[in-house]
Amino acid sequence: MSAHPHAREDKPPQSVQHGALSVRDLDKSFQIGGRPHKVLDGINLDVRPGEFVSIVGASGCGKSTLLRLIVGLDTDYSGELRLDGERIATTSLDRGIIFQDHRLFPWMTLEQNVELALLNTDTPKDRRAKIVADHIALVNLTGFEKAYPHQLSGGMAQRAAIARALVTEPRLLLLDEPLGALDALTRVHVQNELQRIWMAQRSTMVMVTHDVEEALYLGDRVIVMSPNPGRIRRIVDVDLPHPRDRRSPLLHRLKDEILAELTSGADADAADNLVHLPSREPR
Amino acid sequence: MTGWLTRFPVRVAIGLVAPALLIVLWQWQTSEHIVTFAPPAAVGTALLDLIRSGDLARDTLATLKRAFTGLAIGVPLGVAVGIAMGIWKPIDRLVGPLLHALRQVPMIGWLPLMGLWFGMGATTELAVVGMSSFFPSMLNSHAGVAQVEKRYIEVGGIFRFSVAQRIRYILLPGAMPLVLTGITQALAFAWIATIGTELLTGANAGLGVAMQLAQVQQRLDIMLVIIGVTAALGFTINQLFRQLRQSLLRWQPSV
Amino acid sequence: MTSRAADLLPPVRPRRAFQLSGLPVGALLAPLLLLGLWQLLCLSGVFPPQVLVPPSGVARTLEEMALSGELQRHLGDSMRRLLLGFAIGAAAGMAFGVTIALSRLAEAALSPLFLTLWQVPVIAFVPMMVMFLGIDEPFKLAVVAIAAFFPMALATFDGIRGVPKSWFEVAKVYRLSLFQLIRRILLPATVPAVLTGLRVSLTRAWVVLVAAELLAADSGLGQMMEMGRQLFQIDVVLAGVIVTGLVGFLLDRGARWVESHATRWRAA
Repeated sequence: MSAHPHAREDKPPQSVQHGALSVRDLDKSFQIGGRPHKVLDGINLDVRPGEFVSIVGASGCGKSTLLRLIVGLDTDYSGELRLDGERIATTSLDRGIIFQDHRLFPWMTLEQNVELALLNTDTPKDRRAKIVADHIALVNLTGFEKAYPHQLSGGMAQRAAIARALVTEPRLLLLDEPLGALDALTRVHVQNELQRIWMAQRSTMVMVTHDVEEALYLGDRVIVMSPNPGRIRRIVDVDLPHPRDRRSPLLHRLKDEILAELTSGADADAADNLVHLPSREPR
Repeated sequence: MTGWLTRFPVRVAIGLVAPALLIVLWQWQTSEHIVTFAPPAAVGTALLDLIRSGDLARDTLATLKRAFTGLAIGVPLGVAVGIAMGIWKPIDRLVGPLLHALRQVPMIGWLPLMGLWFGMGATTELAVVGMSSFFPSMLNSHAGVAQVEKRYIEVGGIFRFSVAQRIRYILLPGAMPLVLTGITQALAFAWIATIGTELLTGANAGLGVAMQLAQVQQRLDIMLVIIGVTAALGFTINQLFRQLRQSLLRWQPSV
Repeated sequence: MTSRAADLLPPVRPRRAFQLSGLPVGALLAPLLLLGLWQLLCLSGVFPPQVLVPPSGVARTLEEMALSGELQRHLGDSMRRLLLGFAIGAAAGMAFGVTIALSRLAEAALSPLFLTLWQVPVIAFVPMMVMFLGIDEPFKLAVVAIAAFFPMALATFDGIRGVPKSWFEVAKVYRLSLFQLIRRILLPATVPAVLTGLRVSLTRAWVVLVAAELLAADSGLGQMMEMGRQLFQIDVVLAGVIVTGLVGFLLDRGARWVESHATRWRAA
């Protein structure tokens, strides 16, 4: 089957069974100026195996913090995080992450960067080259194996980062504004790629973004978060099969709804935030 | 308006004016017998004589050997200590204060003390040259490890790197640009320290010794030959290392 | 995302943590620890006093030399040479740097010779200068001035040439006069590079001066150490090493302080 570049024998082809994420009563605070400042408040969320969930919200709603907790880079929280019933205590090769900055090591070629992810897996050495080549092919970068990150364009580097994150076949892939640093056209292109890769790979994905359209286009569900402290405000089901058509009326209607929701709170303060230009005041 | 200045032959011609004036001045003062120094043409003769007698080769080799023996001790030690200090804070706490205190003394300033301890011979020379290459290597390697960005270390965490893997795949390559900067500095410092110690210890051979001798004999021609060789060698060593550095750091956008 | 490895691994950023009323305790801690270790080594009897005198012995020597005025004479002579030579060299270097930065003709005419001479370690000029100037005061001043000249000229040149072209365009958009351009943009933009150049020049000048005094002088810290060596007075040599290190340290710290306070507008 071409859907999976290298389905392992010991794994059932329906790897969709794995990758159920459950978040229970998650609270997270930071110390700011010596005082605790709550960034996540009572987050409850269940992500089904193989599901694509998007999280949108204004900056400062703690959505990136949530991903750092799930991936295990930050373990200082209260509540419960479980992947397939197992409590998350640290990082694991079962959970991959893609950051906004691609974080490829600048001193390694694309190929070396991807292969590095396999360093601590039990993948046999003689199969690694093949697996790496397959994943580079999956993100359409064949031919650039020997390129250093600074020789790649922003979109290519981000796709390389996707290959590196997928090469360990994580049960859960987290995406922290993965396309945030790309220009609008490249973004659309990588979004399409991402949708194609997810359909081929079918691992669970949770993506944080501030682009509502992107969230709707890719997500089976869209979690809308509100800031100060970060809470889940609404969960929107996007009942459309993949691959999706950007022109779908449903996507546009949902986009208007979510945008209205996200900006409604802000409108009340808008009048206070108006800048008064002294020289332009009526006399 | 100054467009003609950017043309290569024009630039070279203008650049030669100042040295030419210097030579004319020198020739003029020789013929006027203001001071009894050899005329410019004598420099060429002196160079040929020094090459023919083998003195130049002997002194150059002696200096090179001194410099590179010192470097071979100081650089590996400096890089190792600097990296260790960057990775493990206890090591930094333990030896950092000592090293930072010792660093304050100008390198040549150690000569009298080393001379008392080891005599004004090869050991003292090596100690001073080694120290002058140790400190820049150590400081830059330390800074190199310290400035490796946290976001790269996080990637190591995601892929469950062990401490050894983290050092090998992230910290060492990430620190490499500054480590190489440190070695570049070490090369320059070691070269200066070698000439300096030769001047001061009066070793039996070496470019510094030849300079000292030329000074005593009032031979400006020999002096200039030796200064020229010293400068050219220092320049060549630096250039060669730059090439090496560039090929080692080809992963960087621009070196 | 500017956090560094130091946050995850042992932090190794320059020690700024312990500050006691503006005085970095870490900087004082280092020499104190060293002194303690050194005293212990001597008390343990590993080294005979002909090889290593304990700090208390060096302190006594320093006290005697201070009481007799000998220390002040050496230190004073060294500092006078340093400051005078540095002032001459740095001023000349700055003037030279400004000249070759502003005039393309001057750059074309002088920079090849300048860059060639720059390849020569200053210390290699010492014997030649002894030939020309003898070993008296002019020689020492000249050595210090030359040591200060080169880094200063280069820093000034880089500072002026490094002013971004876009800033000139901003000046043009707001129609600044030439005087305003120099005062508001060129000077402040060049100051950081020039101050760094001053610091580097000062520390280089100090290193070269000590070497020159070791080689040929009748006074100064370098000569004090060299005499101590010839007379096998290890305490005098060690006193010289300590005072020399202290002076170097204070010069560097002082220059850094000036640098950081004069360029506060820069991002920390």
